Amino acid sequence: MADAILVPQVGQDLTEAKIVELHVKEGDTVKKGDMVAVVESEKASFEVEAFVEGVVISLPFQVGDWATVLEPLMHLGQPGETLVAGPPAEPKAAKPPPTAASEPAREKTVVPLAVDPVKAVSKKTSLTVVPAAGGARVVRSSPVARVRAAAHGLDLAAIEGTGPDGAVVLRDVDSVLVTGGTGVLSTPSAWGGADLETRILRQGEGVPILFIHGFGADLSSWRPMVGALGIGCPLLALDLPGHGGSRGHGAADFDALVEAVGRAAAAAGRDGIHLVGHSLGAAIAAALTERGDLDTRSLTLLSPAGLGPSIDGAFVDGFLAARSEAALAAWMRRLVHDPASLRGALVRATLAAREDGGLVEAQKRVARGVFEGSTQLFSIREALARLGVPCSVIVGREDAIIPATETEAQVPAQVALYRLPRVGHLPQIEAADLVQTLIARTVRSAG
Amino acid sequence: MADREIMYREALREAIDEEMGANPEVFIIGEGIAERGGSYKVTEGLLAKYGPKRVRDTPIAEAGMIGVGVGAAIAGTRPIVEILYVDFAMLGMDMIVNQAAKFRLMTGGEGRVPFVMRTQGGAGGGVAAQHSQSLEALFYHIPGLRVVMPSTPADAKGLLKHALRQSDPVMFLEHKHLYMTKGPVPEGEHVVAFGKGAIRRQGKDVTVIAWSNMVQRALDAAEDLAAEGIDVEVIDPRTLVPLDEDMILASVAKTRRAVIVQEAPRRGGVASDIASIIQDKAFFELDAPVTIVAGLNVPIPFNLTLEAASVPQKDDVVGGIRRALHIGPLAAAAE
Repeated sequence: MADAILVPQVGQDLTEAKIVELHVKEGDTVKKGDMVAVVESEKASFEVEAFVEGVVISLPFQVGDWATVLEPLMHLGQPGETLVAGPPAEPKAAKPPPTAASEPAREKTVVPLAVDPVKAVSKKTSLTVVPAAGGARVVRSSPVARVRAAAHGLDLAAIEGTGPDGAVVLRDVDSVLVTGGTGVLSTPSAWGGADLETRILRQGEGVPILFIHGFGADLSSWRPMVGALGIGCPLLALDLPGHGGSRGHGAADFDALVEAVGRAAAAAGRDGIHLVGHSLGAAIAAALTERGDLDTRSLTLLSPAGLGPSIDGAFVDGFLAARSEAALAAWMRRLVHDPASLRGALVRATLAAREDGGLVEAQKRVARGVFEGSTQLFSIREALARLGVPCSVIVGREDAIIPATETEAQVPAQVALYRLPRVGHLPQIEAADLVQTLIARTVRSAG
Repeated sequence: MADREIMYREALREAIDEEMGANPEVFIIGEGIAERGGSYKVTEGLLAKYGPKRVRDTPIAEAGMIGVGVGAAIAGTRPIVEILYVDFAMLGMDMIVNQAAKFRLMTGGEGRVPFVMRTQGGAGGGVAAQHSQSLEALFYHIPGLRVVMPSTPADAKGLLKHALRQSDPVMFLEHKHLYMTKGPVPEGEHVVAFGKGAIRRQGKDVTVIAWSNMVQRALDAAEDLAAEGIDVEVIDPRTLVPLDEDMILASVAKTRRAVIVQEAPRRGGVASDIASIIQDKAFFELDAPVTIVAGLNVPIPFNLTLEAASVPQKDDVVGGIRRALHIGPLAAAAE
């Protein structure tokens, strides 16, 4: 790429300078610091230095010529190089002839650039969340809220903002991070009538969706999902007995889990409820629907437990025994098909949650109640077979925890089955967009 | 060392007295400072103690006084020039801006200008547009000047003593409201170096940066807000040039919010520059836009009600802090 040596600005209000000396000609090699020319204005003369090394490849002026200031006086390049017409660094082609007044022309080129961002900004100001091109969302947030959320692997879009114009500010992020904390949310963050930890992930209108997590997780695992779901109904979640903020709850076999979740769901869904469950939580959702005392409108079951007999007992044991980040990561990688999709933040958050005593013991108690070695002690096969509401089952073909083939074999004909290739036990992470779409579709199909 | 309570003006007098006693090159000139002891009684008694050569009354000729001071400083003495109102320092701006501020650089560091201009500014008491200005931004803008704005008697003494021992031109800007205020000042030698701020109140929710007369106003606002459970930290930079950026940035990193209070008009003020420093160096610490509470962009009116409306009052500071905390204004019960 050729470098231009510009005609110096020889006076504040002068647009042209006279070339009175030229010390180089085309083909000459110059060094940095060489004086290559002298130009003159009415007031003074200026020596022009080369500021890079190179060969003079273009020199259109002769002594006595007038040149426009800040336009190229000459170009330096490699030996043999020729000046390419209109290279990006050479603005001459875009400029008006040197005789034209340059000020108005410069304004013209600047104006469209200056106006567009302003328009874009003014459109944004009245909105809290702006869908950007490509489906991503722009969330108003304070700088430190962004930093804190990123450090903990939280999705800002999943956090309700209480700052100016709904901006997510630090207290909003912190209220999410403090499990069970009351936060400073301006709207209720939980619902009553349950003896489990409950959380309103997002306020909304209509029949709520209740998310039920799987074994070893907690309600925070759903947060990345809620901002992107694109449904306006309330989004609720709870911590299963022995998990998260419900670790002190003593329910420890499948029926007791269903009973506890049923009470919480009934309190939240007096006018109907959609259930979304993962793994053990999916089985609980199906069993609750089968009981018939809950007005379940739809079911979305991700990697459901309770269809086949098998579960990876070594995973359950290893996951619960892991004490270091490295050990936990090693087991948790078994949850996904692509190890890269398991974020370190999720491992660290899982480990951090165990720092408060009692969590692992509580989960071991639950594990003893629902699994025996590599066998699941409960079944939802009959529940699913009798189901009358819209139901979708989503399984990862590469599920290493619960074999996808066993699950698929037991899905009855009236249930929609989605088999996701190159996905493991966590389709909500490995195929997040698709799972969100399928949840939304299932919920809407219930009318 | 035991502290005693003395007035701001007494603390200033102690500083001048001690430094004149210690260094025969220190002298002071100004309007009515010798026989009358100064309009604010800062120099009372100094004439009798040091004589008319070192404590000298001048005609009403600020350009000449400042020129004498700058020249005497270049010649190797340590002059204090007292200007009755900072507004009148404008008559000497060429000497300050083009001579005093530049001399050290233009002589390659060989020439120094240990010139101290003591003056006072600020609104209060209906002295109108030409006797009420807060002009620190003019001096802050000029590289080469030190800008000192003490808010307490102890700082008034300690900073003035430091000013008389260092060798660059110092704009020592007092506030007309502060001369009669009292505060603890250590017995004996007390020097406060430039560039070190003071945390006037510890807090965790929001950082308020204020100087001169606005420090007390910020503390009063903090007291009001403490009743609501809002924990305000108040930082007094004490010298605007050099500015204790480290203290400000550390506090903002703790509280995540900054409110800057200046008496001077909003436009082109020091507060704007401090805000730009904070956003530049602590952007990712911030949980709210930096808030500025400043005077209105108007000449200070003579009418006392309008005067009060043109510079930040306690409630204005409270309002600014609430904005920074994303808390709406209280119901306007008073209206």
